[in-house]
Amino acid sequence: MSDSFKFPEFYSFPPFFTIQPNLATREKQMGLWRELILSYHTSLKIKTLIVHDCPLWKNDQIGRELNPDDVKTVMNDFVKSGHGEWEDDTKTRCRILWRKPEQLAADIYTWAEANGYINSVCTVYELHSGEDVNGMSFEGADEQLLRRALAILEQKGKCTMFKGDSSSEDGIKFF
Amino acid sequence: MAHRRGRAGIGALKKKGETSKFTKKAEEIKETSLQSALDTVKQLEIKLTKFAQTHHKAIAKDPAFRHKFLSMCAPLGVDPLTSKKSFWSFLQMGDFYHELAVKVAEVCYAYRSRNGGIMSIKEVQNILVRRGTKFRLNEVVTNYSEEDIVLAIEKLKQLGSGFRIVKVGGTRMVVSVPTELDNDHVQVIQLAQDVGGGITVDMVSDMIGWEDDRVKRALDLLLSEGMAWIDKYEGLEFYWFPSVWKDSFAL
Repeated sequence: MSDSFKFPEFYSFPPFFTIQPNLATREKQMGLWRELILSYHTSLKIKTLIVHDCPLWKNDQIGRELNPDDVKTVMNDFVKSGHGEWEDDTKTRCRILWRKPEQLAADIYTWAEANGYINSVCTVYELHSGEDVNGMSFEGADEQLLRRALAILEQKGKCTMFKGDSSSEDGIKFF
Repeated sequence: MAHRRGRAGIGALKKKGETSKFTKKAEEIKETSLQSALDTVKQLEIKLTKFAQTHHKAIAKDPAFRHKFLSMCAPLGVDPLTSKKSFWSFLQMGDFYHELAVKVAEVCYAYRSRNGGIMSIKEVQNILVRRGTKFRLNEVVTNYSEEDIVLAIEKLKQLGSGFRIVKVGGTRMVVSVPTELDNDHVQVIQLAQDVGGGITVDMVSDMIGWEDDRVKRALDLLLSEGMAWIDKYEGLEFYWFPSVWKDSFAL
C-alpha cells in the first residue's frame, strides 16, 4: 500500500523556492516549509529526513529548487520549531517529531490527572497501547518520543520513572 | 428700459404689489409638488414592500433576483440592509450581509500573510464555497454571488474597517490592509495578471514603458507589503503576485 502524497498548492508557486527577503513574507514561507516537511514525512510514515536525499527541495514540474544554503536555512528553522531533531552533529539526518515532546508531556499529564493516575503507576506500554489511552495524542506513539515526553515531566517533578523487566514494562509514577 | 407687453411679468406684479401673493402661490406650488413627490415615493415604498412580501423566497434564494430587488430599493432611499423598520428586518437581509461580511473578513485575514492583503473577490467566493460555508437568509440557505460579496465589503467599508475594492483590469480585488495602492501599483499587478505569471523589471519597462526606477519603486513597495514574492531563477528576478496567481489557477 503506497500512500501518494498530495502536494499543497504553494509547492507549485515558484517563489516558494527562493528565500524571501521581506521578513513577514519569509515568516509565512518558513511556516509553509515546516508544514510541508511535517505532513510529507508523517503521511508517508518516514521517520528520518536525510537532508541530501530529500525530494522536497526540488520541484521539477516548475523547474525550481532550493540551493544548498537555502536548504540549511529551512532545516535549521524546522529543527528550531521543535518538530525535528538532528541525530548527530553532522546535521545530515533529522528525526521527525511530528508531535512535539512538550505537547505530548502536557497531554500525558492531563490524561493522568483525568484518569486517576496521580500517585499511581502505569507502564510505558500502557501509555502508548493501553485501553485507557484510546483517542489520546500519545496513543501509538513511538517509544523514544514517549520517553522524551516523560523526561520533560520528570524534570518538572510531575513523574518519576523506574525500571521494569523490559523496557516497555518500565513504570511511571505520576505526582 | 424695455417693458414687456402683456400682463403678468414680475415687474408688473411688483408694481401692483402682488409680490407677496405671488410668492405665496409659488410656495404653495412647491409644497404641493413636494407633497405629491413624497406621496409617490410612499406609494412606491408600499408597492416595494408588497413585492418583497410576495417574492421573499426568490429574494432569498436567487442572487440575481435579489440584486434586481435591491437596485429597485436604492433610488427610493430604501436600504433593506440597514433599515430599522420592522418590515425590512423580516427579510433579514441586514443579518445575511452582516454574516457574509464577517466571513469575507475572516477569509481575508486568514490569507493575508500569503498575499499581503489583496485578493480577488472570485477567490474569496471560491474559498467560502470550498469551505462549505452557508448562510441563512430568511430561513432559506442561499447561494451568494460576487455581487453579494461586493455589498458585504461595502458594509465593511462603511464600518471604517479599511476594506475596499480595487479594480485590476477587469478583476475586482478586495484590499484589507491600509496600504496606499496608487495607479502604478495597480498597473503592475494587472501586467502580472495579463502575463499570467512572474514579471521582471525589464518586462514591466518594456511593456508599460516606464523608467527602471519607477518600476523598481512600485515593485519594491509591493514586495515590502507582502503582495509580491520574489523568484530568483537563472540570474533573473521574477516578481509573482499570489492574488493574481491564484486566479490563473482558479479552482
